[in-house]
Amino acid sequence: MHSSNNRLYPSTFNRIYSVWFRHFRVYTKNLISNGLPPFLEPLVFLAGIGLGMNRYIDQMAGIPYITFLATGLPITAAMFTSAFELTYGTFIRLEFDRVYDGMLAAPLNVKDMMLGEILWAGTKGLFFSFAVTIVVAAFGFIPLPWSLFTPVIGFLTGIMFASFSLLITTFVKNINHFNFYFTGFLSPMFFFSGVVFPIENLPPALRIIAEFFPLTHVVRPTRALCLGDYSPVLFLDFLFIVVFTLFSVWPAIYRIERRLIK
Amino acid sequence: MEEKEAIILQNINKCFGSFTAVKDLSFSVPQSICFGLLGPNGAGKTTTMKMIYGVSKRDYGKTEKMSVFGFDPQKDSLAIKFFSGVVPQENNLDEELNVEENLKVFARFYGIPKKEATKRIAELLNFMELSEKQHSRIQELSGGMKRRLVIARALLNNPKLLILDEPTTGLDPQVRHLIWEKLRNLKRQGMTILLTTHYMDEAFQICDRIIIMNRGEKILEGNPHALVNANIEPFVLEINSMVSFQKIKANIPAITRVDESADVIRIYSREQLTLETLTKKLKPGEYYLRQSNLEDLFLKTTGSTLNALQ
Repeated sequence: MHSSNNRLYPSTFNRIYSVWFRHFRVYTKNLISNGLPPFLEPLVFLAGIGLGMNRYIDQMAGIPYITFLATGLPITAAMFTSAFELTYGTFIRLEFDRVYDGMLAAPLNVKDMMLGEILWAGTKGLFFSFAVTIVVAAFGFIPLPWSLFTPVIGFLTGIMFASFSLLITTFVKNINHFNFYFTGFLSPMFFFSGVVFPIENLPPALRIIAEFFPLTHVVRPTRALCLGDYSPVLFLDFLFIVVFTLFSVWPAIYRIERRLIK
Repeated sequence: MEEKEAIILQNINKCFGSFTAVKDLSFSVPQSICFGLLGPNGAGKTTTMKMIYGVSKRDYGKTEKMSVFGFDPQKDSLAIKFFSGVVPQENNLDEELNVEENLKVFARFYGIPKKEATKRIAELLNFMELSEKQHSRIQELSGGMKRRLVIARALLNNPKLLILDEPTTGLDPQVRHLIWEKLRNLKRQGMTILLTTHYMDEAFQICDRIIIMNRGEKILEGNPHALVNANIEPFVLEINSMVSFQKIKANIPAITRVDESADVIRIYSREQLTLETLTKKLKPGEYYLRQSNLEDLFLKTTGSTLNALQ
């Protein structure tokens, strides 16, 4: 009722943006140490795995193996950074630094704070996938120019994994429990979502499981975008992204609200 | 009609499971005064504060009502927080940002334009005597500086209402006096101040009106000086050991009141002479004769149940 129209307090958009800005400010404070690694990591990966393996595996799903990898890596970078942000990052702000308690003294509600975080994680997803894309493009591993739009899917990847990671965080009482999430969920997904090999090669049972992994549904559109190889399945991928995100973010905010407002 | 009252609480209850944090609490705070909530730890002061700025939800009740400048915190906490400044019990500053950045980021939460924020931040750092710490990291600040920074943060939006949860707990006397001075200054400018404290001198120094709470209930309400005058004997003799107390125990007149609930034994009397007579049998250092204060009143009101149990 007392919305921005009455100018009683900043609009929802401005509140969420101000939370996003807090994270942006913290991140850009240490620009070198935060901004450089996303560019170095793909170099290490490509050198270690790509160039080494490339001598043994020429082609994967009809394209050079290095290209196959290079069209999946920007997305996993976005996944990991957003997952870290909304697990360890959020937990520390929630339980140790008590940043949220401080922010609740300002005209912000829990929803603003959480949506601001998720939006920030999306931004990081965009930036990380951008960094990887630039590196692999510089080496000529991915076809141009359409591959340069990969960061857009990186943004969606960030939003989706941030939302799901926040939901996980609402169940976590001890920070060490995140180990289960990372080694038990995210790492297996890295291998079984079509990043290092096509899921079509999996045994039928695993193939079905792979279709339930959210990563599958962001890797497939990315590769389609890079290679210009579109199919109607992509529509289902985007539907999955939207539904999965909404079904994560809604209970996550509800649960975190109950933890902060007693 | 409610315009004159900054805050109104009517029959407010709050339970956490089977624990009753606040029980049937009612009070109202007129505008431009400093109102204090006093009580021991667990009295329900912080819970009451949090309900007032909407970070804790009160229990539903038929007659309950809460209004902060006409807004219900349950429905319009954003509006309340927009015109209020909040100093929580913990210094929850953003340790990833420096002093100035903490304020800059917070100014954005209020939607204060950048230029105006820069000006306001300089003013507030100056007001809170933190100007030379502008670029310091939060970890480099002393406890007193952190507290002053949290107060500065709460003043960014030039609030109508300033809410402080134990503003000076754990700080040294100089910093406490500095903070009191600043709060008096703000009150003179017309700001309404609501604070919790368990320091009696704090209430005496800055509160126009207080309520004393114990176990979630209001026990007394009024002006701190008037409450002392009306509810407690004006003089008190403190005896610091049981051995010393035994020496005079037989001579204590019935008209005095003896309180043994604290570490020191306190003998209260309306007559200074009665107490002076008692000290004749004691050596200097064994006793302390003084005027009674809010702490004595506090002990009398909140400690009464303790005595009953003993």
